[in-house]
Amino acid sequence: MFIVDCDCHNYWCDARVLEPYMDGLFKDMFVRGERTGPPGAFPHAHRPWFHPEGFARKDINPINEDDNYLIMKEKHLDLHNIDIAILTGDEPIEASTLANPYYASALCKAYNDYMIDYWIPKDSRFYGSMVVAPHDPIGAAEEIRRVGGHERVIQVLVSHGANRPYGDPFYHPIYEACHEMNLPFALHLGGQGGVNANPIGAGPTTFFWETHALLPQSAMTHMASLIAQGVFEKWKDLKVVIIECGVAWVPSVLWRLDANYKALRKETPWLKQLPSEYFKSNIRMSTQPLEQPADVRHLWATLEAMDGKNTLMFASDYPHWDYDAVNKINIPDDWKENVYGNNALEVYKKIKRQEKAA
Amino acid sequence: MSDLQYLCDIHEVREDKATIVQIGKRSIGVFKLNDGSIHALLNLCPHKGAALCEGPVCGTTKETNDYEFEYIQRNEIVRCAWHGWEFDIKTGEFIVDRKIKARKFLTEIKDQKVYIQLPS
Repeated sequence: MFIVDCDCHNYWCDARVLEPYMDGLFKDMFVRGERTGPPGAFPHAHRPWFHPEGFARKDINPINEDDNYLIMKEKHLDLHNIDIAILTGDEPIEASTLANPYYASALCKAYNDYMIDYWIPKDSRFYGSMVVAPHDPIGAAEEIRRVGGHERVIQVLVSHGANRPYGDPFYHPIYEACHEMNLPFALHLGGQGGVNANPIGAGPTTFFWETHALLPQSAMTHMASLIAQGVFEKWKDLKVVIIECGVAWVPSVLWRLDANYKALRKETPWLKQLPSEYFKSNIRMSTQPLEQPADVRHLWATLEAMDGKNTLMFASDYPHWDYDAVNKINIPDDWKENVYGNNALEVYKKIKRQEKAA
Repeated sequence: MSDLQYLCDIHEVREDKATIVQIGKRSIGVFKLNDGSIHALLNLCPHKGAALCEGPVCGTTKETNDYEFEYIQRNEIVRCAWHGWEFDIKTGEFIVDRKIKARKFLTEIKDQKVYIQLPS
């Protein structure tokens, strides 16, 4: 089976790996400015929820920068026969929390150059996500045109924490650039804090585990907004990938959107299909962390309701604490070819299937 | 075969809301559009069986390709009293899915009186 891991985090030990890729004012800020942590911390506003154990698996302990790849290769890529790993960075999407969108864009740009320079050449299985600062849509669009043509840059990535819902016309220059460069737009769980002040409805929750279970709330907002604002009518071929935001909520939100649209279609006369139809044609969900009910039939019925055979894409979230191993995904056997690889190959056209690792 | 059934006098029919007439077990909404034409729909929504014709009579937005709002079919749309599904009074069609239709009756006007054809 051809396996594409749609969420493989390429860590660094120290964000100062970005220094060689920065210049001018923003390099000066990065080197000499106020730090958000000890030397080597990536500049971002912090969440009000601190993981009591830290995010990483405890069997992943890099000491030098190069360990990050070597451990990933041994404990993930080779171990599970991963054919393609889509690198999703780690801290860079947190640039979306900074009030200064120009500094955020400069950090993303440095990360993209570092990722292309340092990570991509390491392994023929790697394809990269370029990160942009969504609150600087003009700068983000420029960056997409600058590096989006790279043969192994296969999507544009932002955090799901955001200033405003992603369907808002404020962001449309980003989608125009994605369309031009033929790249999917992906949002990954993260970016809670700073200027992204409302990741949880009704106000801040208290505990980390409680909060982490509820973070998909923002993804619901983005999904509804992208559909309602007609993003998929303006850019019919645009694919949006929602990463690490849970899955089982999707059918219930689609049912609600369809029901409301039937009554109040007149508010959005640019739509030509039911919300659930836009979902099926334009949105893909990564599996991890796949919900784990006591009776798997309950999950499968839900996944069927969202056409999971065609809308789900396998993701491991290596090397995080809520990692899903390749052999632990509980889905119907006849979906596996699609979910583990074929659906991703449909979305990421730059991946060539014959590039299977030796 | 069909029988002609008297519903009401034409002066009783308004442009801003349906006139509801009870014929045996059937409740029927009678509408007058801006062009003066008279239409009759069964007062029963195909969605959940609500009193369709007791909802507001209004217009809707034309399908557009961008953020444009063109208000059309003024007084040619009835929104079901319960869930607001929009039906085209002229055709009985639900606008979001035109395969779904409210039952429509053919109307005739004779001597300022409104009749519909009922199956005999």
